[in-house]
Amino acid sequence: MAKVAREMVEKAGVNVDQLLELLVCNAAAELTTFYYYTILRVNLIGLEGEGVKEIAEVARIEDRNHFEALVPRIYELGGKLPDDMKEFHDMSACKPARLPADPTDVTAMLTVLVEAERCAVRGYTHVCNLTAGKDHRTYDLSLAILNEEIEHESWFSEFLGEGPSGHFMRRGETSPFVSKFLR
Amino acid sequence: MRTFTPDELALCDGRDGRPSYVACDGTVYDVGESFLWRRGRHMAEHEAGRDLTEELAAAPHGADLLELCPVVGVLVAGA
Repeated sequence: MAKVAREMVEKAGVNVDQLLELLVCNAAAELTTFYYYTILRVNLIGLEGEGVKEIAEVARIEDRNHFEALVPRIYELGGKLPDDMKEFHDMSACKPARLPADPTDVTAMLTVLVEAERCAVRGYTHVCNLTAGKDHRTYDLSLAILNEEIEHESWFSEFLGEGPSGHFMRRGETSPFVSKFLR
Repeated sequence: MRTFTPDELALCDGRDGRPSYVACDGTVYDVGESFLWRRGRHMAEHEAGRDLTEELAAAPHGADLLELCPVVGVLVAGA
């Protein structure tokens, strides 16, 4: 544990135990989403599905990166991951992004994907709000993740015909915002 | 429609097999089937058995997500 780092956050008025629980819930959401997106990705087939597969894969890899980036901060602040993987799954900040009943329905697949990303956007916005000006490192990390989650949401939203995302998909890289926490 | 006083609502905290209800703007919702309300807790900060109207105002989502849960009654003032 980074003792002084935790003290500084506590002195700034943050309930660190509550923040840690939130971070673990979000880490659980990232890892479980990585798992469920794996199933979604392999089922994105056919003329329509193949067109979505690449961004689903990028979102999948970046969600795994978010998990990897969150874990050190949890331990720095004195937290830990649950010993039991099932308990960890059930703590997820977002409901499971399960394969829809008809996996050939690409709109249903995109709806699962966009709802998962929207849950993440809400979650990291909340963590940013809790830590802004108080816990600079958690804020910086959460903001980096939020930037990527917003892009994921906009990609899937664009495919659903909700409007243009305003930017391109990744070009040969992943996690342009979070990568600094992965080195 | 069933009525709940704050004390009656407090008994529906989702623990030890009790129902998991929350109130918002006078309406009482059953959140017991929600994945995000396991054991009567939500996102480390919110607990079942309470009027969450003020807490929801500070949440990163609106009442629309709560309205997906079944309505089980209305909250009335305590005695």
